[in-house]
Amino acid sequence: MARRHAAQQEETEINITPMLDIVFIMLIFFIVTTSFIKETGIDPNRPEAETAYKQERGNILIAINSVGDIWMNKRKVELAQVRQMVEQAKNESPESSVVIIADEKAATGVLIDLMDQIRMGGVSNIAVAAEQAGGG
Amino acid sequence: MRRRIATHGEEAEINITPMLDIVFIMLIFFIVTTSFVKEVGIDVNRPSNAPVTEQKISEVIAIRIDETGIISVQNREVDIRAVRANIESELATKPEASVVVISDRDADAGLLVRVIDQARVAGAEKVSLAAMAR
Repeated sequence: MARRHAAQQEETEINITPMLDIVFIMLIFFIVTTSFIKETGIDPNRPEAETAYKQERGNILIAINSVGDIWMNKRKVELAQVRQMVEQAKNESPESSVVIIADEKAATGVLIDLMDQIRMGGVSNIAVAAEQAGGG
Repeated sequence: MRRRIATHGEEAEINITPMLDIVFIMLIFFIVTTSFVKEVGIDVNRPSNAPVTEQKISEVIAIRIDETGIISVQNREVDIRAVRANIESELATKPEASVVVISDRDADAGLLVRVIDQARVAGAEKVSLAAMAR
């Protein structure tokens, strides 16, 4: 009787400690690396640039299409709304910077107005998205 | 003897199933919401409207882009491919100068990015952006 009991216990108990270790490490990894990027909803043609580099903190994305419409957060927004939306996004993640994805054919005036609005919204780290020229 | 083992086992075993459930749900949530896509781009500085930042004309390399996309470096019309060489030679004579790109409101943003990029390649540390007054 005692022997049967012992054998049963050995069978049913699987050591899950290593699995738990891995799961926790994965969990911490994903928590740390997660940055909630809100897509803009459109994909303009980015200009090419040789000095472009990865914008590590570029969490707020704003796109301008070829006719000058501003897209943010999967919907079209007016220029006057941008400031408020940037302020809101900055509240959610204070250390983030803005990346403007401007179409090659977009007018510079819209881009500069947009940059003004973003700066008024309290974010001074602004980058313009570009494609890496040459290698990829 | 058997009794002692049994009580020992009861003491040591904490039920971790609910914790595991929560941990797995969190894990799945973070896996799903993570996006590793990082935008590639160039930084742009725009001088603020305050006049204190106005620089002396001798320390500025002005690049103008007009509405039809014609680029001029220091009032000399140049091709986009010649922008880099022109800025390099300007920088050689004025190493402290900063580059200001003055763009017409109707010029293409793509051209503007390319000009800023070329200025960076030419070795200009500070490239700022200004709008042409309407």
